[in-house]
Amino acid sequence: MRSTLSLYAMDRPALQAFSKDLRALLMADNRAELANLLELRGALAERLNEAERAIDWFLKPDTNTEAAPLFSSLRRIAKKRALTLSWTSPEASLEGRLRQYDLLREDPQIASRIDKLLNPSRLPWFLVLPGAACGWIDSVGRIELAGLLRPIRASLPPELVAFAEALAEVDGDVIAHDSL
Amino acid sequence: MGFFDKAKKMLGLGSEPEPDDVPSPAHEKRAANVHDDDPRVLAAERAGKLDPRRKDKRPPLVDAPPAGPGVDDALAVREAGDKAGARKMLQDMDKGGGLRTVLRAAAAYEAGDKSELSQLLPVIAKEEPRYKLLLQVASALDNAERAKGYVHRAEAEKAPAWALGWAKAMSGNPEVKRHGLVELVFADHALARTVAARDLELPGVEADPEAGARYAAFVHGRNSIKRFGAECVAGMLDEAQKVGGA
Repeated sequence: MRSTLSLYAMDRPALQAFSKDLRALLMADNRAELANLLELRGALAERLNEAERAIDWFLKPDTNTEAAPLFSSLRRIAKKRALTLSWTSPEASLEGRLRQYDLLREDPQIASRIDKLLNPSRLPWFLVLPGAACGWIDSVGRIELAGLLRPIRASLPPELVAFAEALAEVDGDVIAHDSL
Repeated sequence: MGFFDKAKKMLGLGSEPEPDDVPSPAHEKRAANVHDDDPRVLAAERAGKLDPRRKDKRPPLVDAPPAGPGVDDALAVREAGDKAGARKMLQDMDKGGGLRTVLRAAAAYEAGDKSELSQLLPVIAKEEPRYKLLLQVASALDNAERAKGYVHRAEAEKAPAWALGWAKAMSGNPEVKRHGLVELVFADHALARTVAARDLELPGVEADPEAGARYAAFVHGRNSIKRFGAECVAGMLDEAQKVGGA
């Protein structure tokens, strides 16, 4: 079953700090501290030692059976440190509506902000999953997008109306993700 | 002609041509005259290459000119021991910039041909982006210490993080290699996976198709420089720096 899009309030300084810590530990190949950062215990903590370098684990595919729990821990901790779930759409059709709905596509200001929100290349690598719909937009862009959607609400399908309302209510920067 | 007759004809079942299938003498003449004075037709006729079944005497299709030798051909000649032959090929194929000019200049440097080198070095010194050749040479060099200097020069040329990370990831120094891999992961995770799979052949790692084009754009130059002899290209590049910066 396909996941539905969620909106998370993003604490950008906290996410940057986590990214910096992760990078420093990988650079130093400090596996004991990396295990602490990712809250790995027992066999999973030991697994970090099985590769030539700790970074090698994060070069493997997310689907690799041995690497998958490490990726999961990494995302779980990033989420715990810097993201707060704000809203989840019950509609699987939301992503398609955002990408294709004529009324949104015809307005370049709306379309560009939605494209930003669904552009995974703008997220840190550890929050991106293959095939996932994800991205982020800063507080200014979020407020602008919510403002642009408000006057056309009457012409939007219910899942887009709900999205517009949720977007207006999130605090600060926002991440959209369907697989976290 | 009715529908079934046409169908029979299409299937080759009709035995006699229908009256309207027979070309009139005027039609034949017109078709023939179109090309009677075409020199290509006359030449083909003389050479016996004109298909007699074609009433319109259409000239034969001209074969596409054979593709000239490429960098890989010149490198193969060089690897076979014919450095002079390879140098001549590089001179002939040089289009005034890019990898061909770089290798041509390296061959001139190797041969001690200062005259040819003096013409090529200013071109190489102006190659853009300037960091690219520096990092390709750094990645191709086996000597980690020597490679470091080219990486530093590329950093000064504001090389992007992915390019610096990639070059460091190819280092023979384990610490530099690890730093390079981490930098590459943070700059471009898909490219990092591709480099780790293709260049480093790390077990369990797979190339990411999303980064295929980015990988190919950089790697051909690096591999060609390695095949030519990275030390020689590096020496030429040092000369280019004296001329104008590269």
